[in-house]
Amino acid sequence: MNIKEVMDIASFAGEILLSSGAEIYRVEDTITRICNSYGVHCECFVMPTGFSLTVRNKNGDVLSNVKRIKNRSVDLHRVEMINTFSRRLLNERSSYKEAMEELNRIKNMPYFSYNLQIISSGFVAFGFAKLFGGSFLDSLVAFVISMFIFYIKDNIQKYGFFQFLEFFLSGLMAGVLSIIVAKLIPYVNIDKVIIGAIMTLVPGVAITNGIKDALYGDFISSFARLIEASFIAIAIGLGVGVSLILQLSWV
Amino acid sequence: MDFILAFIGSFAGAILFNIERKNLVWAGLCGGISWVVFKVLFIQTDRVVFSTFLAAFACGIYSEAMARKRKTPAFVFSIPGIYPLVPGITAYTTVRAIVEGRLVFAANKGIETIGTAGAIAFGIMLASTAFQFVYKVNEKYRKKPKVIS
Repeated sequence: MNIKEVMDIASFAGEILLSSGAEIYRVEDTITRICNSYGVHCECFVMPTGFSLTVRNKNGDVLSNVKRIKNRSVDLHRVEMINTFSRRLLNERSSYKEAMEELNRIKNMPYFSYNLQIISSGFVAFGFAKLFGGSFLDSLVAFVISMFIFYIKDNIQKYGFFQFLEFFLSGLMAGVLSIIVAKLIPYVNIDKVIIGAIMTLVPGVAITNGIKDALYGDFISSFARLIEASFIAIAIGLGVGVSLILQLSWV
Repeated sequence: MDFILAFIGSFAGAILFNIERKNLVWAGLCGGISWVVFKVLFIQTDRVVFSTFLAAFACGIYSEAMARKRKTPAFVFSIPGIYPLVPGITAYTTVRAIVEGRLVFAANKGIETIGTAGAIAFGIMLASTAFQFVYKVNEKYRKKPKVIS
């Protein structure tokens, strides 16, 4: 197998990993492992927004490639699949065609169905609103609002505005909707409803991955992730804050 | 009761992160465990950051153990597991205090939020490094008799 094909496989696997929200050290490990299993020397530099990869074979032919990652989401199953794929390559080398087919299959693997995702985002809100001391009514309201927010956020995502607008608008919707509901039904506690509803937006993965990256020595990526997480938090906070200001001054 | 609620939250969160079906229940269980540990410690000591740290540590230990047992990476369990610990309330209280103009209170709560987030990450990391350490020490001791014999 020539180095171009090896590089194709490695960079495709790296692309799937990065866009599914894997840690930096895992991406570097996987790319290096794939290249080594085909007997090719490689050097890669990975950042959350993209990576560059240079491979060199024994004859001294050098090939390099830069890949930019635009949209990132969290999909742990895909990370897991790529992980097992690269470990299996160590034992049995598959041909270029087989490997690419396998990677394509992983890339197009089905999500949970859309309705199930919406309902489960509702259940996240329900569980946490009740857990953090809300009444049953609060949790039900949070359930409905959270489903609505998930739907809206997904639709904004399709139009491809920048990421923080999504979070700002979702936070704003959470605030406005719960204030309206609280106005209609006076028994509802706004604080608990909002906390439950924004639980699905909180950037927990970005924060933990950021600190993990720092502990493994990837400081640039760590800062990038932490800044991403704090900007998401600020965007949600701004959205909720604006709605609360509206409530304080006009309602 | 709290355990069941935390279980529901983490279970549904795990669906959002698209985790394999057979691991969903175990991921939910991780959330339940970390919440119960947090709650017990918080009632005993009344210190938020400390109890969050230990709860995250417990969550990390659980997920590393499950990862060895079910042959999947540990984050499959740990990321849904820390869901109940994420400082949602304190972050929200901070925003609310800023909006209402109580800036000293907001600074208090903001620092608590950052501390909690850091405590979660370090708890998880400590658990996984501890596990790797034990694993490596075990390997060493397993190899030694072989070399001698």
